[in-house]
Amino acid sequence: MAWSRKSAMFASLATALYLLGLVLRNSQLVTVAVVFLSFLTWAALRAAHADVAASGRRIDEEEDSEEAPALASLSAMRKVSAARIFEDGEIQVTLRLQNHSPLSKILEVKDTVPEVMRIKEGANYILMELGPRRETLIEYTVECPLRGFYTLGPVSIRVQDPFGLFHKEKEIHLYDDFLVFPKTEDLKDAFVKSRVPKIFTGAVNIRQPGEGSNFYNLREYIPGDPMRKVNWKAYARQGKMMVNEFERDAVSDIILIVDSRSIAETGPVSRNSLVYSTRAAASLAQYFLSRRDSVGLVIYGNEINSVDRDTGKKQLYVLLTKLAGATAKGNTPLQVVTNRIMPHINKGSPIIILSPLEGDPTLVNAVRDFRAREFDVTVLSPSSLEFEFDAKRLDRTGYEVMKTERDILMTELRGLGAFVMDWEPDMLLSTALAGARGF
Amino acid sequence: MVAGKSGDTAHLYEGKTVRSGAPSRKKLAGKMSAGGSELPKDAIPEVHIPTFVESLFGGPLVPKMKFLPADRMVQTLQLVGGGLMMLLAVLTYLVTPADGTFWNGFALWIGFDALGQIFHLLIVIAALGAGFYGIFRRDARGLMASYVLFILISLRFAASKDTFDTGALSEIGEFWTKQLIVLYAVSLVMYMEVTNGIIRFSMLDTSIRTGEVYVMNVKKVLSRYHISLVVTPVIAAIVASATLLINVIIPWFFQFFDQETSLRLEQSVELTSVYGVALGTMFVFILVAGVFAANIPLRIQQWRESADD
Repeated sequence: MAWSRKSAMFASLATALYLLGLVLRNSQLVTVAVVFLSFLTWAALRAAHADVAASGRRIDEEEDSEEAPALASLSAMRKVSAARIFEDGEIQVTLRLQNHSPLSKILEVKDTVPEVMRIKEGANYILMELGPRRETLIEYTVECPLRGFYTLGPVSIRVQDPFGLFHKEKEIHLYDDFLVFPKTEDLKDAFVKSRVPKIFTGAVNIRQPGEGSNFYNLREYIPGDPMRKVNWKAYARQGKMMVNEFERDAVSDIILIVDSRSIAETGPVSRNSLVYSTRAAASLAQYFLSRRDSVGLVIYGNEINSVDRDTGKKQLYVLLTKLAGATAKGNTPLQVVTNRIMPHINKGSPIIILSPLEGDPTLVNAVRDFRAREFDVTVLSPSSLEFEFDAKRLDRTGYEVMKTERDILMTELRGLGAFVMDWEPDMLLSTALAGARGF
Repeated sequence: MVAGKSGDTAHLYEGKTVRSGAPSRKKLAGKMSAGGSELPKDAIPEVHIPTFVESLFGGPLVPKMKFLPADRMVQTLQLVGGGLMMLLAVLTYLVTPADGTFWNGFALWIGFDALGQIFHLLIVIAALGAGFYGIFRRDARGLMASYVLFILISLRFAASKDTFDTGALSEIGEFWTKQLIVLYAVSLVMYMEVTNGIIRFSMLDTSIRTGEVYVMNVKKVLSRYHISLVVTPVIAAIVASATLLINVIIPWFFQFFDQETSLRLEQSVELTSVYGVALGTMFVFILVAGVFAANIPLRIQQWRESADD
C-alpha cells in the first residue's frame, strides 16, 4: 500500500493534534485527531488495501504475494497496428483490459508510451469503472516523429480510495516492440555513375558504350550492326553510315557511409546531422535497390557497423533497420573506416559519405585514399552549423567563422576530386545530390 | 583554389592562416566575446529545483496547473465546500472560546480584555476570507491559510472538562456538548477533504478536457466519491463519539459486575477529562489494530473477489 502526500499530511496532522491536545489538556484537539485517524483508517479499509496487515503473513501463499487481491484479477492484452513504420507514421494501439473479478473496480490505467512519441488521437491514460467480469478496449493513436527502436509498455494500473489517500499499483509487464525507419524521399536520379560495372545488366548508366537507353556517341557503321541503330540524319550529313551508341546499363556496388559519431547529433533532437544523414541514406538505398544495384552500408561512431552489399527488398529492410538503430556515440575517425573497408569493395565503386565533416582530422586523408584508388566519392554534409544557428544556439560571429572553416574544408575535398555538397536543412535530397554532382 | 599544403589558407586571409580542419566548438566558445558568450535560453533545460518546504513535503504544495473554467462537479463541490466552511466557522466560534488562547492571555496581561475576543473573531473571519478565496479562485494557498487559521484558533489551554463560553450552550448537557464537538471535528475534516477535492477534480477535469486523460463511466466514478462523502463522516463521527463517551461506555460495561465500581468510574475526573478521551482512543484503535493484525481486511477482500468462483 502506498500513502499519498495527502494521507501522510493527514496522519502527521492527526498525531500532532493528538499530542497537542494531551499537552494542552484540550479534548477538542484530541477529538479532531480521532476523526482524522478514523477517516484514514476507514479509507484504508475501503480501498481494499488488505496488505496493510501488520503480521506480514499472507493467507494464500499460492497467490501472487506482491499484489493486492483487487489487482490480481486484472489482465491486459495489446494489439499494435504495425511493427515497422516510417518516421511521421502512426500506430494504432488497442489495449484490452479484463476484470476477472465479480466486483466492479475503479481503475487508473496508463499504457507507457516512449517519451518522443505523441498521442495523436485517444488517450493512453484512462480513469474508468470496470464492471464485474467485464472487459474494455482502450484505443489510441501514436505519432512517431523520430526513427529508432521503441517499446510500448508496461501497463500501469492503480486502484485508490475515493479520497485519494491510499493507492496500490500494479505493472502488467506487457511489451510491444516496434521499429521506426527513417523517412525516405523519392529520388528520380542520384547522378551517380559507376566506372566498374558488374557483368549483369542493370539500370545504372556507366560511362562505357554498350546496351542501354541513353545516347552515348556516334560511330561509323561496322558490318553486323543492326539497321535500327543507324542514325539516318548523320548519314545524310556526313555521307557515310553512322550508328548511335548507347551508354551501357549495368548494376554496380554502391557504398553508403554514415557518420554517427557523437558530434553528428549536434543540434535539436529532430533536426541534426544524424537525422538528416539517416534519412538520406534510406532514400538512396531505396533508390539504388529499386534499380537492382547492390548497396552496402557502413555506420561508424563508437564502432564500425557494416552491412555487406546485396540487392533486393530484403536488403532494403536490413539497411533501414540498421539506420533506425544508429545512435550518436564515439569518435571513430573516417580513416579507420577507410582502412577497414577498402580491401573489401570493388575498386571504383561509387561511395557516398554522409557526414557533418566536423571533429575529424583524418577526413582529408581518408577521402584522398578513396580518390587515389579511383573510387567515385560523393560527400553530402548536413551542416550542424545551420541547425545550431537556426536554434539560436550559435551567435553570428561564431557561425561565420565556422562556416568559413567548413567552406575551406569542402573546397579542399573538392580539390581531391570528390563531389561535395553543403546540405542545408531545408534543401531536398535530390537537389543536394544534383548540386554535389554539379548539375 | 587550395594552397599546396593542407590547411594553408594564408593567401585567402591577408597572411593569416586559417585552419582547414574541422572546427572546434570548445575553442570557439573560449574565444567568444563577453556579449556573445551567454548561453541561449533554449539551451538550458527547464529544471524545477524544489524549495526547502517542497522537499519536506515531497513536491509542490500548490499545483502549477492552470485550470479550465469549473465544470458542474467542481461548482457543486465549491458550493458544498463554502457551506461546510460557514458551518465550521459557526461551530468553531461556538466550541472554541477565547479563554485559554495565547491572544486572550496577552489581552488580559495588557488589561484590555475585549482585545482577546476581537482577535479571536478576527481569526475566524480571516479563515473564512482565505477559505472563500481558496474555494472560488481554486487557489491551494488560500485553502492552506484557511486550514492553518481554523486549527490555530483551537490551540488553547483548556480545562480538563469541555466548556463552552457561549451563552445558552454553556447550559446544555454533557452528551450534546460532546456531540457538538464531534460535529465540529467532522466538519473540519470534511472541509479539508471537500476543498481538497475541488483542486483534485479541477485538475482531473482540466486533464480530461485537454485530452491528457480519458474517463470511462464518469457517473459511476463520481457516484463512488459522493457516497464516500456521506458514509465516511458518519463512520468517523461514530468512532469519535465512542472515544468521547468512554466515561459512559466503561461504567455501563462495569455495571454488570459491580454497581459501586460503575458509579465511581462514572464520576471519575480522569475518565471525563481529556485523558479519558485518550483512553477511549486507545481502546478503539487497539480494536482496529487487532482487525488489521488478523488480516481481516485481506480475508474479506479475498472472499469478495472469489464469491462467484
